Amino acid sequence: MIDLLAQAASSSTAVAPTEILKGLGAVGAGIGYGAAAIGPGIGIGIVVGNAITAMARQPESAGVARTTMFLGIAFTEALALIGFVVFILLKYT
Amino acid sequence: MSLTSALLTAGNRAAAALYAQAATTTTVAPAQQAPNPILPSTTELLWGSVSFAVLLFLMWKYAFPLVAKAMQARTDKIRSNLDEAEQVRQEANGILEEYQRQLADARNESNRIIEEARQAADQLRQDMVRRADEEVAELRRRSIEDLKAAQDRVMGQLRLQVRDLAIDLAEKVVGASLDRERNLALVDQLIAELEARPAGGG
Amino acid sequence: MLEAALKFPPIGELVKWPSFGPGGFNKVALICVAATFFTLLLFFLAGRNKELVPTGVGNLVESVVEFITDGVILQTMGQEGMKYLWYLTSLFFFIFFCNIFEIIPFMQFPASARMAIPLLLALITWVMYIVVGLKKHGISYISKSVKPPGVPFALLFLIIPIELLSTFIVRPFSLAVRLFANMLAGHLLLVTFAVLTGALLGSSIVFMKPVAILPLAMDIAITGFEAFVAILQAFIFTILTAVYLGSSIHIEH
Repeated sequence: MIDLLAQAASSSTAVAPTEILKGLGAVGAGIGYGAAAIGPGIGIGIVVGNAITAMARQPESAGVARTTMFLGIAFTEALALIGFVVFILLKYT
Repeated sequence: MSLTSALLTAGNRAAAALYAQAATTTTVAPAQQAPNPILPSTTELLWGSVSFAVLLFLMWKYAFPLVAKAMQARTDKIRSNLDEAEQVRQEANGILEEYQRQLADARNESNRIIEEARQAADQLRQDMVRRADEEVAELRRRSIEDLKAAQDRVMGQLRLQVRDLAIDLAEKVVGASLDRERNLALVDQLIAELEARPAGGG
Repeated sequence: MLEAALKFPPIGELVKWPSFGPGGFNKVALICVAATFFTLLLFFLAGRNKELVPTGVGNLVESVVEFITDGVILQTMGQEGMKYLWYLTSLFFFIFFCNIFEIIPFMQFPASARMAIPLLLALITWVMYIVVGLKKHGISYISKSVKPPGVPFALLFLIIPIELLSTFIVRPFSLAVRLFANMLAGHLLLVTFAVLTGALLGSSIVFMKPVAILPLAMDIAITGFEAFVAILQAFIFTILTAVYLGSSIHIEH
């Protein structure tokens, strides 16, 4: 990515249109992944925070809360990971 | 490999070529095209399924039962040990209860025996006191009777003797009344005789 | 300029392993075989131990089996799920070994960072929970699982496609992508900081060389974190498989 951008910047006079498109694709992929990470980041924070509250309130059922917390993290995290996959897809197809 | 290479786009190829051009100084140019990082490669899918299938088969057939059996055996052993311990504990409890019951019985028994002995002793003492009282009363009564009888007998004898004495005296007085000197001597003699005679008189 | 120092390889290059054996046998295949081998080795070592109190390997294996029993099966499927214990245990160990090669020196690549392995495992899970549901509830499994009880008729047109999509298409896809993307992301992180370290060390500017300690430290920290991720992702894949199986056994929304 850095190579491409550097090349695009250094030789601004003779850039093929496909390369500009590729550069724009890379920028879009980066911004897309960053945007995709926002929601899951907040979501995982909420999941873990509430799980900690639950564990502190009922330490005897901390095992169940922990398992459920990991499940919730896994489901929430899937969104970020799909963003990551889309990032790679955008960059490589 | 054929699937992935077919799916590689022109852009991807261009990027690879670009990278190869830029990296000539540090890395060897790739002999084969870079695979798509997302799409599954057929050979890897094949090798993965073969190894996972082998794993599943061997685990299901041999490896997992080994561990599961060992764990089950230990669980059973622990459970049987616990059961045994519970049984022993119950037995011990039974024996302890039995002992406690026997001890309580023995204590009751001894209390009963002591109580009986005390009652018997009491009875005995009362009997003895009563019998002693009776004996004392009897003795007293008998001695009073004896005394009375002796008194009666003494009185009778005394009466007889006094009468005899009086008769004797009278005879003597009548028979020898001539001599005063002689009467006095006679009375003296009589008194002496009375004195000489024993008290009981026989 | 930095352009001489920082030549970050494309991601395609990072996951490209040339075959060195028959049938395209490459590093990923080698790691899969190694995962199978090590899992079986662990279990045979653990099963060989005839002592009453398990030691070492036996202890490790048995505590994992117990954890999968108590923490995964009984919580998601109940007593009914005990017959899947051997499968879930194999799955857990296989994924764990595929993952842990990410941080093992000279291998340093998780087999699960190639889509083939997670996709294979997710497909097995997918087939399993559909077959279990069909066997348990007959053909009504499909209708029951796409139509939650108590939904007004008008909403059914919206609910049924969504449920159909989420139960039968998104589930295996997200299961595979979760494992794949986690491991690939971890691998990319490690590579990024390793490349950065190398570039800084090889820099022509002398005072840039000591700065290489920063990405190196980051690399070490991420290595530790990835060990945790390797276990966590194996656990999550296993428990999600159990959850999906459980949802096929007891269909309740």
